[in-house]
Amino acid sequence: MNLNDAELAQRIGGGDREAEAELCRRMGPRIRLYGLKHLRDAAAADDLMQNVLITMLETLRAGKLREVEKVASFVLGTCRMTVMDQRRGVQRRDRLMEQWGLEALTPATAAGPQLDGEALGRCMQQLAERERAVMTMSFYNEQSGAEIAGYMGISEANVRVIRHRAIHALRGCMGVAR
Amino acid sequence: MSADPMHLDVAVLADYWLGALDANEEARVEEHVFACDDCAALLEEVRAMADGIRQVARSGALMTTVSQDFLDHAAAEGLRIRQYAPPAGGSVQCTVTAEDDFLVGRLEADLREAKRVDLSLCTPDGSEQFRLNDIPYSREDSAVLWQMSITFAKAAPTSSMVARLVDVDESGAESTMGEYTFHHTRTLPGPGAW
Repeated sequence: MNLNDAELAQRIGGGDREAEAELCRRMGPRIRLYGLKHLRDAAAADDLMQNVLITMLETLRAGKLREVEKVASFVLGTCRMTVMDQRRGVQRRDRLMEQWGLEALTPATAAGPQLDGEALGRCMQQLAERERAVMTMSFYNEQSGAEIAGYMGISEANVRVIRHRAIHALRGCMGVAR
Repeated sequence: MSADPMHLDVAVLADYWLGALDANEEARVEEHVFACDDCAALLEEVRAMADGIRQVARSGALMTTVSQDFLDHAAAEGLRIRQYAPPAGGSVQCTVTAEDDFLVGRLEADLREAKRVDLSLCTPDGSEQFRLNDIPYSREDSAVLWQMSITFAKAAPTSSMVARLVDVDESGAESTMGEYTFHHTRTLPGPGAW
Protein backbone atom coordinates (compact mmCIF):
# COMPACT_ATOMS: atom_id res chain seq x y z
CA MET A 1 0.00 0.00 0.00
CA ASN A 2 1.76 3.14 -1.24
CA LEU A 3 0.25 5.69 1.12
CA ASN A 4 2.00 7.83 3.70
CA ASP A 5 1.24 7.51 7.40
CA ALA A 6 -1.21 10.43 7.42
CA GLU A 7 -3.17 9.02 4.50
CA LEU A 8 -3.40 5.66 6.24
CA ALA A 9 -4.58 7.35 9.42
CA GLN A 10 -7.25 9.20 7.43
CA ARG A 11 -8.51 5.96 5.86
CA ILE A 12 -8.66 4.20 9.21
CA GLY A 13 -11.14 6.84 10.33
CA GLY A 14 -13.28 5.74 7.40
CA GLY A 15 -13.18 2.08 8.45
CA ASP A 16 -10.46 0.83 6.07
CA ARG A 17 -9.13 -2.40 7.66
CA GLU A 18 -6.30 -2.75 5.12
CA ALA A 19 -5.04 0.66 6.14
CA GLU A 20 -5.15 -0.46 9.77
CA ALA A 21 -3.04 -3.51 9.00
CA GLU A 22 -0.52 -1.45 7.02
CA LEU A 23 -0.12 1.20 9.70
CA CYS A 24 0.31 -1.52 12.34
CA ARG A 25 2.96 -3.16 10.14
CA ARG A 26 4.85 0.13 9.92
CA MET A 27 4.50 1.29 13.49
CA GLY A 28 4.76 -2.07 15.27
CA PRO A 29 8.53 -2.53 14.87
CA ARG A 30 9.22 1.10 15.81
CA ILE A 31 7.16 0.76 18.97
CA ARG A 32 8.88 -2.50 19.84
CA LEU A 33 12.32 -0.91 19.40
CA TYR A 34 11.22 1.95 21.65
CA GLY A 35 10.17 -0.65 24.21
CA LEU A 36 13.44 -2.56 23.96
CA LYS A 37 15.37 0.68 24.38
CA HIS A 38 13.44 1.92 27.40
CA LEU A 39 12.30 -1.30 29.07
CA ARG A 40 15.24 -3.61 28.15
CA ASP A 41 12.91 -6.58 28.14
CA ALA A 42 11.55 -8.34 25.05
CA ALA A 43 8.26 -9.42 26.65
CA ALA A 44 7.63 -5.93 28.01
CA ALA A 45 8.44 -4.49 24.57
CA ASP A 46 5.90 -6.83 23.01
CA ASP A 47 3.31 -5.72 25.57
CA LEU A 48 4.10 -2.10 24.80
CA MET A 49 3.68 -2.69 21.07
CA GLN A 50 0.27 -4.27 21.55
CA ASN A 51 -0.94 -1.62 23.98
CA VAL A 52 0.16 1.29 21.79
CA LEU A 53 -1.27 -0.21 18.61
CA ILE A 54 -4.60 -0.72 20.35
CA THR A 55 -4.64 2.88 21.55
CA MET A 56 -3.64 4.10 18.09
CA LEU A 57 -6.43 2.18 16.35
CA GLU A 58 -8.96 3.06 19.02
CA THR A 59 -8.18 6.74 18.52
CA LEU A 60 -8.09 6.66 14.72
CA ARG A 61 -11.24 4.57 14.35
CA ALA A 62 -13.08 7.06 16.53
CA GLY A 63 -11.69 9.99 14.54
CA LYS A 64 -10.23 11.49 17.69
CA LEU A 65 -6.88 12.47 16.14
CA ARG A 66 -7.60 15.90 14.66
CA GLU A 67 -4.30 16.30 12.76
CA VAL A 68 -3.67 12.96 11.07
CA GLU A 69 -0.32 14.18 9.70
CA LYS A 70 0.89 14.02 13.31
CA VAL A 71 0.11 10.32 13.70
CA ALA A 72 3.82 9.42 14.23
CA SER A 73 4.12 11.99 17.03
CA PHE A 74 0.89 10.70 18.51
CA VAL A 75 2.22 7.13 18.50
CA LEU A 76 5.51 8.24 20.06
CA GLY A 77 3.66 10.19 22.74
CA THR A 78 1.52 7.15 23.43
CA CYS A 79 4.69 5.06 23.75
CA ARG A 80 6.06 7.46 26.33
CA MET A 81 2.87 7.46 28.38
CA THR A 82 2.43 3.71 28.08
CA VAL A 83 5.98 3.02 29.23
CA MET A 84 5.24 5.12 32.29
CA ASP A 85 2.05 3.12 32.79
CA GLN A 86 3.87 -0.19 32.34
CA ARG A 87 6.44 0.87 34.85
CA ARG A 88 3.62 1.45 37.29
CA GLY A 89 2.33 -2.01 36.52
CA VAL A 90 -0.85 -0.93 34.71
CA GLN A 91 -2.01 -3.62 32.27
CA ARG A 92 -4.95 -2.95 29.99
CA ARG A 93 -3.98 -5.19 27.11
CA ASP A 94 -6.10 -8.28 27.63
CA ARG A 95 -9.30 -6.35 28.29
CA LEU A 96 -8.83 -4.09 25.26
CA MET A 97 -7.73 -6.90 22.99
CA GLU A 98 -10.97 -8.65 23.78
CA GLN A 99 -13.08 -5.50 23.55
CA TRP A 100 -11.70 -4.44 20.17
CA GLY A 101 -10.97 -7.84 18.67
CA LEU A 102 -7.58 -6.73 17.45
CA GLU A 103 -5.47 -9.89 17.70
CA ALA A 104 -5.31 -10.30 13.93
CA LEU A 105 -4.06 -6.73 13.46
CA THR A 106 -1.19 -7.01 15.87
CA PRO A 107 2.02 -7.88 14.02
CA ALA A 108 3.49 -11.20 15.03
CA THR A 109 6.32 -10.79 17.47
CA ALA A 110 9.55 -10.97 15.55
CA ALA A 111 13.09 -10.93 16.87
CA GLY A 112 14.04 -8.72 13.93
CA PRO A 113 17.02 -9.21 11.65
CA GLN A 114 20.06 -10.93 13.09
CA LEU A 115 23.64 -10.48 11.97
CA ASP A 116 25.95 -13.30 10.96
CA GLY A 117 27.65 -13.90 14.31
CA GLU A 118 30.80 -15.48 12.89
CA ALA A 119 31.30 -12.64 10.43
CA LEU A 120 30.70 -10.09 13.18
CA GLY A 121 33.27 -11.88 15.34
CA ARG A 122 35.86 -11.66 12.57
CA CYS A 123 35.07 -7.98 12.08
CA MET A 124 35.31 -7.34 15.84
CA GLN A 125 38.71 -9.01 15.85
CA GLN A 126 39.86 -6.68 13.06
CA LEU A 127 39.06 -3.53 15.05
CA ALA A 128 41.86 -1.65 16.76
CA GLU A 129 42.28 -2.70 20.40
CA ARG A 130 40.78 0.49 21.78
CA GLU A 131 37.84 0.34 19.39
CA ARG A 132 37.10 -3.26 20.38
CA ALA A 133 37.37 -2.39 24.05
CA VAL A 134 34.99 0.56 23.72
CA MET A 135 32.47 -1.57 21.83
CA THR A 136 32.48 -4.41 24.35
CA MET A 137 32.43 -2.06 27.33
CA SER A 138 29.52 -0.12 25.78
CA PHE A 139 27.37 -2.94 24.45
CA TYR A 140 28.26 -5.86 26.74
CA ASN A 141 29.24 -4.33 30.07
CA GLU A 142 26.80 -1.47 29.41
CA GLN A 143 29.27 0.99 30.91
CA SER A 144 28.68 4.69 30.39
CA GLY A 145 30.96 6.93 28.36
CA ALA A 146 32.22 8.47 31.59
CA GLU A 147 33.07 5.06 33.05
CA ILE A 148 34.92 3.97 29.90
CA ALA A 149 36.74 7.29 29.74
CA GLY A 150 37.82 6.89 33.35
CA TYR A 151 39.14 3.39 32.72
CA MET A 152 41.03 4.29 29.57
CA GLY A 153 42.33 7.65 30.76
CA ILE A 154 40.79 9.59 27.87
CA SER A 155 37.96 12.09 27.52
CA GLU A 156 34.32 11.14 27.18
CA ALA A 157 34.27 12.90 23.80
CA ASN A 158 37.16 10.71 22.70
CA VAL A 159 35.25 7.59 23.77
CA ARG A 160 32.37 8.75 21.58
CA VAL A 161 34.68 9.35 18.61
CA ILE A 162 36.22 5.88 19.01
CA ARG A 163 32.76 4.29 19.28
CA HIS A 164 31.50 6.08 16.16
CA ARG A 165 34.60 5.06 14.21
CA ALA A 166 34.19 1.45 15.33
CA ILE A 167 30.51 1.34 14.37
CA HIS A 168 31.24 2.59 10.89
CA ALA A 169 34.18 0.16 10.60
CA LEU A 170 32.02 -2.78 11.67
CA ARG A 171 29.26 -1.89 9.24
CA GLY A 172 31.80 -1.50 6.45
CA CYS A 173 33.36 -4.84 7.32
CA MET A 174 29.92 -6.50 7.44
CA GLY A 175 28.97 -4.95 4.10
CA VAL A 176 25.86 -3.20 5.45
CA ALA A 177 27.03 0.44 5.37
CA ARG A 178 24.68 2.71 3.44
CA MET B 1 22.79 13.80 11.62
CA SER B 2 24.32 11.81 8.79
CA ALA B 3 25.90 13.08 5.59
CA ASP B 4 22.37 12.79 4.22
CA PRO B 5 20.57 15.62 6.06
CA MET B 6 17.27 13.77 5.67
CA HIS B 7 18.44 10.86 7.83
CA LEU B 8 20.15 10.12 11.12
CA ASP B 9 23.70 8.78 11.23
CA VAL B 10 24.02 5.19 12.37
CA ALA B 11 26.47 6.24 15.08
CA VAL B 12 23.92 8.69 16.51
CA LEU B 13 21.36 5.89 16.54
CA ALA B 14 23.88 3.72 18.38
CA ASP B 15 24.38 6.50 20.93
CA TYR B 16 20.60 6.65 21.30
CA TRP B 17 20.42 2.88 21.81
CA LEU B 18 23.11 3.08 24.48
CA GLY B 19 21.39 5.93 26.29
CA ALA B 20 24.36 8.17 25.57
CA LEU B 21 22.34 11.16 24.31
CA ASP B 22 20.98 13.96 26.45
CA ALA B 23 17.19 14.19 26.88
CA ASN B 24 16.71 16.75 24.09
CA GLU B 25 18.79 14.80 21.57
CA GLU B 26 17.03 11.59 22.54
CA ALA B 27 13.60 13.17 22.02
CA ARG B 28 14.70 14.54 18.64
CA VAL B 29 15.94 11.10 17.53
CA GLU B 30 12.70 9.45 18.63
CA GLU B 31 10.53 11.98 16.79
CA HIS B 32 12.55 11.35 13.64
CA VAL B 33 12.60 7.54 13.90
CA PHE B 34 8.84 7.34 14.36
CA ALA B 35 8.29 9.32 11.18
CA CYS B 36 11.04 7.87 8.97
CA ASP B 37 10.96 4.36 7.49
CA ASP B 38 14.67 4.38 6.60
CA CYS B 39 15.85 5.47 10.04
CA ALA B 40 13.49 3.03 11.77
CA ALA B 41 15.06 0.26 9.66
CA LEU B 42 18.54 1.54 10.50
CA LEU B 43 17.72 1.54 14.21
CA GLU B 44 16.64 -2.09 13.82
CA GLU B 45 20.11 -2.76 12.35
CA VAL B 46 21.69 -1.04 15.34
CA ARG B 47 19.63 -3.24 17.63
CA ALA B 48 20.82 -6.32 15.74
CA MET B 49 24.43 -5.11 15.91
CA ALA B 50 24.12 -4.46 19.65
CA ASP B 51 22.77 -7.98 20.19
CA GLY B 52 25.51 -9.41 17.97
CA ILE B 53 28.31 -7.59 19.77
CA ARG B 54 26.95 -8.83 23.09
CA GLN B 55 26.90 -12.40 21.78
CA VAL B 56 30.43 -12.14 20.37
CA ALA B 57 31.74 -10.63 23.61
CA ARG B 58 30.19 -13.34 25.77
CA SER B 59 31.33 -16.12 23.42
CA GLY B 60 34.91 -15.76 24.67
CA ALA B 61 36.10 -16.20 21.08
CA LEU B 62 37.94 -12.90 20.76
CA MET B 63 41.67 -12.51 21.26
CA THR B 64 41.74 -9.25 23.17
CA THR B 65 42.40 -7.50 26.44
CA VAL B 66 39.53 -7.01 28.87
CA SER B 67 38.79 -5.11 32.04
CA GLN B 68 38.01 -6.49 35.47
CA ASP B 69 34.49 -5.06 35.03
CA PHE B 70 34.12 -7.19 31.90
CA LEU B 71 35.07 -10.33 33.81
CA ASP B 72 32.80 -9.40 36.73
CA HIS B 73 29.93 -8.93 34.28
CA ALA B 74 30.61 -12.29 32.64
CA ALA B 75 30.81 -14.01 36.02
CA ALA B 76 27.52 -12.40 37.07
CA GLU B 77 25.97 -13.91 33.94
CA GLY B 78 27.09 -17.33 35.13
CA LEU B 79 29.88 -17.70 32.59
CA ARG B 80 32.88 -19.73 33.67
CA ILE B 81 36.22 -17.96 33.62
CA ARG B 82 39.51 -19.85 33.83
CA GLN B 83 42.28 -17.49 34.83
CA TYR B 84 46.04 -17.96 35.15
CA ALA B 85 48.47 -15.48 36.67
CA PRO B 86 52.10 -16.33 36.02
CA PRO B 87 54.59 -13.96 37.67
CA ALA B 88 56.58 -11.60 35.46
CA GLY B 89 59.54 -13.58 34.19
CA GLY B 90 57.86 -16.82 35.26
CA SER B 91 55.62 -19.50 33.83
CA VAL B 92 52.45 -21.41 34.59
CA GLN B 93 51.02 -24.78 33.59
CA CYS B 94 47.58 -24.30 32.11
CA THR B 95 44.75 -26.00 30.29
CA VAL B 96 41.14 -25.42 29.28
CA THR B 97 38.11 -27.67 29.65
CA ALA B 98 34.91 -28.00 27.65
CA GLU B 99 32.97 -26.21 30.40
CA ASP B 100 35.11 -23.05 30.32
CA ASP B 101 33.68 -19.93 28.67
CA PHE B 102 36.66 -17.59 29.04
CA LEU B 103 40.41 -18.12 29.28
CA VAL B 104 42.27 -15.20 30.77
CA GLY B 105 45.90 -14.51 31.55
CA ARG B 106 46.53 -12.03 34.32
CA LEU B 107 49.80 -10.24 33.49
CA GLU B 108 51.04 -8.32 36.53
CA ALA B 109 52.98 -5.18 35.62
CA ASP B 110 53.62 -1.63 36.79
CA LEU B 111 51.58 0.39 34.28
CA ARG B 112 51.78 3.78 35.99
CA GLU B 113 54.55 5.23 33.80
CA ALA B 114 53.80 3.36 30.59
CA LYS B 115 53.31 5.37 27.39
CA ARG B 116 51.82 2.97 24.88
CA VAL B 117 51.56 -0.70 25.78
CA ASP B 118 51.53 -3.51 23.23
CA LEU B 119 50.92 -7.16 23.98
CA SER B 120 53.19 -9.37 21.89
CA LEU B 121 52.51 -13.10 21.69
CA CYS B 122 55.54 -15.18 20.85
CA THR B 123 56.79 -18.72 20.52
CA PRO B 124 59.22 -19.88 23.24
CA ASP B 125 62.15 -19.01 20.93
CA GLY B 126 60.95 -15.39 20.80
CA SER B 127 59.36 -15.34 17.36
CA GLU B 128 56.37 -12.98 17.44
CA GLN B 129 53.14 -14.57 16.20
CA PHE B 130 50.61 -11.88 17.00
CA ARG B 131 50.58 -8.39 18.46
CA LEU B 132 47.81 -6.39 20.08
CA ASN B 133 48.81 -2.75 19.56
CA ASP B 134 48.10 0.07 21.99
CA ILE B 135 46.02 -1.95 24.39
CA PRO B 136 43.66 -0.09 26.72
CA TYR B 137 44.40 -0.30 30.43
CA SER B 138 43.82 1.64 33.59
CA ARG B 139 46.87 3.26 35.13
CA GLU B 140 45.43 2.33 38.51
CA ASP B 141 45.45 -1.37 37.60
CA SER B 142 48.45 -3.51 38.37
CA ALA B 143 47.80 -6.02 35.60
CA VAL B 144 46.74 -6.48 32.02
CA LEU B 145 43.96 -9.02 31.55
CA TRP B 146 44.57 -10.89 28.32
CA GLN B 147 41.70 -12.94 26.95
CA MET B 148 42.87 -15.80 24.76
CA SER B 149 40.25 -16.99 22.28
CA ILE B 150 38.52 -19.90 23.99
CA THR B 151 37.76 -21.35 20.57
CA PHE B 152 41.45 -21.34 19.71
CA ALA B 153 42.48 -22.65 23.12
CA LYS B 154 40.07 -25.58 23.04
CA ALA B 155 41.49 -26.66 19.69
CA ALA B 156 45.14 -25.99 20.54
CA PRO B 157 47.58 -28.89 20.97
CA THR B 158 49.92 -29.09 23.94
CA SER B 159 52.31 -26.18 23.42
CA SER B 160 53.94 -23.14 25.03
CA MET B 161 53.43 -19.46 24.37
CA VAL B 162 55.09 -16.34 25.71
CA ALA B 163 53.07 -13.18 26.33
CA ARG B 164 55.24 -10.07 26.45
CA LEU B 165 54.11 -6.62 27.56
CA VAL B 166 55.99 -3.95 25.64
CA ASP B 167 56.18 -0.25 26.47
CA VAL B 168 56.50 1.82 23.28
CA ASP B 169 57.68 5.43 23.64
CA GLU B 170 57.04 8.38 21.30
CA SER B 171 60.07 7.51 19.16
CA GLY B 172 58.87 3.94 18.71
CA ALA B 173 61.57 2.50 20.97
CA GLU B 174 60.39 -0.58 22.82
CA SER B 175 61.17 -1.89 26.27
CA THR B 176 59.87 -5.10 27.75
CA MET B 177 57.73 -4.63 30.85
CA GLY B 178 57.31 -8.33 31.53
CA GLU B 179 57.33 -11.78 29.99
CA TYR B 180 54.90 -14.52 30.99
CA THR B 181 55.12 -18.10 29.76
CA PHE B 182 52.07 -20.31 29.43
CA HIS B 183 52.60 -24.07 29.12
CA HIS B 184 49.32 -25.31 27.72
CA THR B 185 48.41 -28.99 28.14
CA ARG B 186 45.65 -30.22 25.93
CA THR B 187 42.91 -32.04 27.86
CA LEU B 188 40.25 -32.09 25.14
CA PRO B 189 40.30 -34.66 22.31
CA GLY B 190 41.91 -33.52 19.09
CA PRO B 191 45.02 -33.67 16.92
CA GLY B 192 48.42 -33.65 18.62
CA ALA B 193 49.66 -30.72 16.56
CA TRP B 194 48.35 -28.00 14.27
